[in-house]
Formats: sequence, C-alpha cells, structure tokens
Amino acid sequence: MAKTDSNNRDFLDPKILGRLMGLPLDARHAMMGSVSGRHRSPVRGSSLEFAEYREYVPGDDTRRLDWRTWGRSDRYYIKEFEADTNLRLCLIIDTSGSMAYGEPGQTRLDYARQMSGTLAYLAANQGDAIGVFPAGEHGLHHEIPARRGPLHLGVALDRIAELEAGGNTDLVASIHEAAEKIPQRAFVVIISDLFFQPEPLKEALQHLRFRKHDIAMFHLLDRSEIEFDFDRPTKFVDLEGGAPLLADPTLIGKKYREAVAEYLAKVSAICTQTGTDYHRVTMDQPYDQTLARFLLGRNPRTKKTAANQG
Amino acid sequence: MNFLQLSILAALPLALLPIIIHLINQNRHRTVKWAAMMFLLDAKKLTKGIARLRQILILAMRVFAVLALIFAAARPLASGWLALGAGGKSDTVLVLLDRSPSMEQQNLETGKSKRFTALEKLADVLEKTARSSRIVLIESASLEQIELSSPADLVDLPMSAPTDTAADIPALLQAALDYIATDQSGRTDIWLASDLRAADWQPGSGRWDTLKGAFTDLEGISFYLLNYPEVESENYTIAVENLLRRRSPEGMELVMDLVIRRQSSRVSPETLPVEFTINGARTAQEFTINGSELRLQGHTVSLGNSESTGWGRIDLPADGNPRDNTFFFVFDEAPVLKTVIVSDDQQTAAAIKAAASAPIDGSRTYAADILPTSRQAEVPWDDTALLFWQAPIPEKGSPESGLLEQFVESGRSLVFLPVDNNQNENDFLGFRWIPQTDSPSAGPYEIGWWRTDSGLLENTQNGNPLPLGMTKIFQIREFEGETQSFLKLKDGRSVIARHINKLPGNLYIWGTLPKSSFSSIASDGVAFFAMIHRALQQGGNFLSNAQMRSAGGSALPDNVQWTSASVRDSDEDHVNPSLSAGAFQSTDKWLAINRPEGEDDFRTINEEAIEDLFGGLDYRVIQDSVNNRSSLASEIWRIFLVLMALALIIEAALCLPPRNDEEPAVVI
Repeated sequence: MAKTDSNNRDFLDPKILGRLMGLPLDARHAMMGSVSGRHRSPVRGSSLEFAEYREYVPGDDTRRLDWRTWGRSDRYYIKEFEADTNLRLCLIIDTSGSMAYGEPGQTRLDYARQMSGTLAYLAANQGDAIGVFPAGEHGLHHEIPARRGPLHLGVALDRIAELEAGGNTDLVASIHEAAEKIPQRAFVVIISDLFFQPEPLKEALQHLRFRKHDIAMFHLLDRSEIEFDFDRPTKFVDLEGGAPLLADPTLIGKKYREAVAEYLAKVSAICTQTGTDYHRVTMDQPYDQTLARFLLGRNPRTKKTAANQG
Repeated sequence: MNFLQLSILAALPLALLPIIIHLINQNRHRTVKWAAMMFLLDAKKLTKGIARLRQILILAMRVFAVLALIFAAARPLASGWLALGAGGKSDTVLVLLDRSPSMEQQNLETGKSKRFTALEKLADVLEKTARSSRIVLIESASLEQIELSSPADLVDLPMSAPTDTAADIPALLQAALDYIATDQSGRTDIWLASDLRAADWQPGSGRWDTLKGAFTDLEGISFYLLNYPEVESENYTIAVENLLRRRSPEGMELVMDLVIRRQSSRVSPETLPVEFTINGARTAQEFTINGSELRLQGHTVSLGNSESTGWGRIDLPADGNPRDNTFFFVFDEAPVLKTVIVSDDQQTAAAIKAAASAPIDGSRTYAADILPTSRQAEVPWDDTALLFWQAPIPEKGSPESGLLEQFVESGRSLVFLPVDNNQNENDFLGFRWIPQTDSPSAGPYEIGWWRTDSGLLENTQNGNPLPLGMTKIFQIREFEGETQSFLKLKDGRSVIARHINKLPGNLYIWGTLPKSSFSSIASDGVAFFAMIHRALQQGGNFLSNAQMRSAGGSALPDNVQWTSASVRDSDEDHVNPSLSAGAFQSTDKWLAINRPEGEDDFRTINEEAIEDLFGGLDYRVIQDSVNNRSSLASEIWRIFLVLMALALIIEAALCLPPRNDEEPAVVI
C-alpha cells in the first residue's frame, strides 16, 4: 500500500463539511452498534423512548418493575425502553478501471473519494463507526473494519485517499464478500459506476439485506456516458483493459442511448426491489448537494424537503 | 457511349473522392478513454448490419453523384441503343438508303416521310458523332457511292430524294462491301435505313449467305439497322395489270386489271374515289374495297373513236403514302406476239409452236416460226417477243452472242433449251450448260417443288397452282450460273429457272424438253401453255410501241429523246426521270414507268429474320417511326443532372440523424 501524507486530504472541503455538519446521518433500519448512540437499536435499552410492557419473570431487575401498573392490576410488569446505539458506516468503494473516467483531478474515483470522505467525517463526528471496503480487481482489499474514534477516522480517510482505480472489478463478488465480513445491522454505502450487467446485482443486494444491513447506493455516471454526444468517429479505449473499439457515434448513438436507458431502468428496479436507497449521480452535480439531498432524505423529519429538492 | 467533351472524362477518378475522404475521416478519429464499453459493444452489435448498409449506401450515393456530374459535364449523347452500343470513332460511315416508294409513308401531321425522317436523324447523329469520319452515301436506286462533305448534305442531296425504284437490299450491301474492299475504309459503321419490306430485303436470296460470309471476314464493321417497319396511317395503292387496247362496237377501249390494295387496321368496306386521266381528260369513278385487296379484272375505259394511242394515269386520294397513289400507263396498237423457235428438234419445236400460236386473247395476234439452227441468222430480232434457242450457246464475242444479248437487253424473253450431246462449254451472261460426260440416267424423276408466288409457274390469278404434280421428268440437262429456280426435282436439281441479271428482259433456262423422251410437260399441257404465254407476254410488253416498265436506272432508254407526257408534280425536277413514275413520249413510242409490283406488297421481315440474316455480325437494330421525334443521339446531360440531384437527396435522407422522440428519455 502506498504511503500517503496524512495531510493530503484535498478531497475534504472544510466549508462543505461545515455546511453538512448540521445534517444528521440517519439509518432507516435499527442498527447494532457497540456503544450508545443516536440510532435505533433492535435491543431494549435505557433510552427515554418507551418500547413496551412485559410480564416480570424471575431474574429480571426489580428496579425496572412498573409499580403503577402493579398498583392498578396487581400484576408485575417490566417497563422496557428503546435502546439507542451508534451505527457502523461501511463504505464499499468501487476501484475498477472505469472509475478513472474523467479529467485528471475530477475522475469518478475523485468524486467517490469526496463523497465517501465527507460521509466518513460526518459519521465520525456523530460518534458512529466507519469502515472502508475498497472493491478492487481481487475482491475487497485492504479493507478497514468499522471502528469509532478520531484516530480511526484518520486511518479511514488515509485509506480513502490511497484508493487508485485500475483493473477489472467484480463488484458483485465484493458485495457478497462484504456482506459476510460486516457484522449484522450496519449501514452499507456502495459507491460505483455499476458498469456490469445488472442482473447479478440483485442477488448481492439481497445478500446484504439478508444480513439486515441498511443499504444506500450512489451510482456515479458522467453525463457524456448517458447522452453520448460525440459527433465524429472515435476510438474508445477501455479503461478496464478491454480491446479498444472504433465507432462512428452518428451510427450507433441511438442504439447506445437505448441500451443505457434500458440498463438504468433495470438498476432502478433492482434497487427498488431490494429496498436500496438508490441515488443516480451525474458528476457535473456538486457532491455537497448530492450529499445534502441524501442526508435530508434519510432523516424522517426532513425527508419531504429532500424529496422536493431532488 | 459518345461524348461531346470526351476529355472531361479524364476526371472520372474524382468519383473516388468520397471514399478517400471517408477513409481519411476514419483515420482522423480521436481517442477517448471510455468506461461504459458495455453499452458501446451492445450498440455496435445491434447496428452492425443496418449501419454498415447505410454507410455503404451513403458512400455509393456520393460516388454516384460525382460520376453523374462528370458525365453531365462531358455532354453525353445517347438514346437507349446508342448508349449501350456505339463506342469510339469510326474511320468511315456508310449510309445505305432505301429510296423505294414504300419509304415515302408519311406522318400526316408533319408531312415527313420515313426516308426523310431517317435522313434527318442520320444527319443529326453523324453531325454529333462522326464529324471526323468519312461519310459515304450509297442509295438503292443507283448503288453509286457518294462521298459527303458534311452529314447535313444527306437531307439535301438529289441522290437521297424519293424514287419509284425497288430497293435491292442485298445489292445495297454488296455495294457497301465493294466499297470497303476497294477503299480499305478501316473501321466502318454501316447505317442501313429501310422499312424492312420483304420484297426489298429478299430474305430467301442466296446472296445473303455470300454477303454474310464476306462481312464476317472483315474486321471493324458495325451495322446499325435503322428500321421503319410500322405503318403510321391508312394507305392505299393502285396498280394496273394486263393493259390492252381493243376495238369495241362503241369504239376503242382500254381493258385492264385494276388492283387496289389497302394497308389498314380496319376491315370495314371503304369507298374510294378513283380518278382516271386519259391523254389529259379526267373521269372519276368510285370503288368499294372490302378487305385488303380489290382486284377488278377486265375493267374497261372507253377511249372513243379518236384515241388510238396515248397515256393515262390513275390517281387515288391522298393518304399515308402519296408515292403509291398514282399509276401511269400508255397504250398503242397491240403488236403481233411473235415466237421464234431455233431448233433442229422437230418434235420439240412443233410442241412449242403449237402452244405459242394458240391465242389466249382474241384481240391479239399470235404467230410462231420454226428456224433450223443453220438459219439462225434469219431470226427477225426486232419483231420477236419470245425466242426459243435450242442450239449451242454462241461463243462469247460472236455476232450471235451479241444479238442474243441485245435481245434480252431490249426486254424480250429468251428461253434456252438443251441440245442433245452438247459438249459446248460456251457461256452466256454467266450461264452455261454443264457438259454431258455420260449418257443421261433414265427417270422418271419426281418433281419436288415449284415456285408458286412468281415466275413462269406462279399460281393462276384465282390462286390455284398449276397442275404440275403428275408431270413426269425423264431426262434433264444440268446448268450452272446465278439463277432463280422455278422448278426443282426431289433431289434438288433445278429444271426450270430464270437467270439473274440486270437486263430488262428475261432469260429462262429449261433443263428438259417438251417431248415424250424428256418429259410429259407438253402432253400435260396446262403448265407448258402457261409458261410459254407468260414468257411471250413479258417479251411482248417490250415489243409494243407503248411499253410499261418498272422504275430503274435503265428504264428510260438513252438512245431516244423522251419528253414527259405526265409526271407527278413533285417529280417534275427529278434529276433522273428513269427513277420516277411517269408517262413519256418519243416520236413514235410511249413509255410508262411505275414502281415495281413488289412495292405494293406490304409484308415486312421480322426481327427473327434479321437475326438470321445478320447473326454473327456486329449489328444493332434501331426501331424508329415517323412519329418519333426524338433524336438518335440526343444530349442527355440533363438526365445525369437529375440523377445527381436524386443521389444527393437520397444521401441527405440517409444522413439525417434519427428523430429524438423515438429514443427513450433517460431520467437523471
């Protein structure tokens, strides 16, 4: 792994961080954290949020008996409260060759780096754990498991900064691998261009859902990849090492756009079916706006506002 | 294909420019690092066939547009056949012109005849394509070769004016062949303008084989047959046969067989006003024609008591061909139809004399004399209509040979009969008896065929054939020379024939004799009688002071001063009166010249017959008509410009981008 200067975090913009700091990163499902936090937990805890009444069984802490209920019904009930916990933000970042698309400094991976770095910072700032899972040519490589703390944030950001695009990634296999490696009930964010046949993606996302993870997906696309507005013969060099292709865009443009539309429709359908929070992002959109919409959309109280903005 | 600006065709390689530009454009592609290869591969797979085809079509249209532009600039000359056929320049162009009267069929709107239309179009096409070539006109009337200084002269020359002569197409081609052989004309285009009349083309003539063989041996000869076979409008012809002046109780009268033929798609009866002019006095009479021919036999025209000699003409109303609406005739006292038989064979001579002196027309006088060969010098050459010569053929250059030749030259009929044990090898005008080397094999031989459409053995006027089927031939003498056979044995040997020559008279050859040891011709009677009287009638026509001849170079003898009694208005200035119909008079003779009988025969030869005649030669058939006003070689650059515009429109349509509303919108 290449050594990176810890100060080389250009992908983080303090102004944007400052603006987004007020927006909480919420999970849509109950999370299973290691410490107390601001997210709903599947287990009962000691928060102020009432959960349910349960009949006393021997061994229960008598301090949690609800005496008022006993007085009314002459029965022993235990009053239970929701538990709040922290979440584990697991960032699966596609590092295939196709992520290198774009002008130097403004590549798709740079965009992914900015998004993932900002999300990691926001999560850490609200006490959540952060894990980085780069999906490379040979599956996940040099992944950083989710942990809390400012020190770990530094490690995670360093890992994000070190990411390099290259090779032909099997993202589906990487997602399956991550589903197994990440303990249950984490918040998995996938950032990729998804340039592969979408059908196997459904199974991978279902695997994550089976492990009770909350899934969000950022589908990064360049506008030229969608609109394909070339006007003269062009030699297209495959960023993932495939054979180059000489084509006249005037001849194949229509069919290309039809293929893209069909593909995007399939991806959308898969994400809907698997309950994935899907965000199609074109790289000409500022990433802070994308993240703001994302964060607002996940907050139950601001969801409507985010929808209007989107 | 011919072009007026041939040098511009050097720019033809420019047609490759669109392809070169396309290839350069392909190589000038930019390189893009691309991530979404999966869509590219899918799109390319889907558009592979159609896109490639579209691209090829676009390129083809661009190439075609450039080609069309270059061709248009080169000013191409073409009509359908010329575009495909004619190529390059020829050294010599021979124009063979059919000047027969049937070529005077007109377009009634424009008044232009087939001959004039052909000349006009030929002048135009040669002006455009053969200005640097030598242009020679050979016309059917004289077969003379006339070199033209300019193609435009074709229309104005007196030698291309209409005539009443028959067109001997094989002779015309022979004249062309002679010219090519004599002048070494190099690469030669032969244009033959005719109306394909079978009577002129004579597709059955043996000369065609000779001609075809000779032309096949020559290189660089191309034939262009400019044909006008179609009948543009209704046409009637008039002709007179067997004209006779006789005395009747009311005075003198003319008896004639009147033949009116109709060339029309209609079959309904039609009443025609016919105008008779006798020595300038006109009368009119109406005849109703039903079908294609009206034959009035023995039609009489009264002359009154004073008119013993003179001329006459019969005119039909104007129709599609004015040339065959008039027939001229002359009349005088009928001469004695005298037959002379020079023979030592009493049996043969007696049979002929008996038949020749038996009258078939009560108003005529018939006479027949027998002279032994030792008294052949006593033949009354001037008074004899028919001469039977059963004596050795005189030696060439001898006085007897000269007298015989003059006899045929003056239009009379001469019949050669075989002489027993003849070892004489003399020939007369190319004809000779084949010397007998051994005794003749005894027959009988069966008759295989005889000519029923013309000649001595043609069918009777009511169409019945002569009764020759049962006739027996026991001995024949074979002969050689250019002859037209009238009767053949089953083994193909010719028995009775006519010698082919250019003389006005007829020379017949009988290969058998009318006696029992040779044949049963005399005893069967009818055919023998008919043959003698037909030959006698032909010779008698030239004996009279009033003669009727077919138009031709020697129709009007030069040795007498002739004045025209009546000619068509259009022929008054004709350079050679022998070529046009009319009535002429000298001191004591009358002469009527008319178109040959064959010109009233409307039959034409078809394309299969042309293929038979020209098969194996480089020839092209151009079917034209007097109604067709398009030039043989019109400039067609406009067509190329239209084609170019079409190609560009198609190219533009193919280049149009697909409509956006057809594509599914991608929501981002």
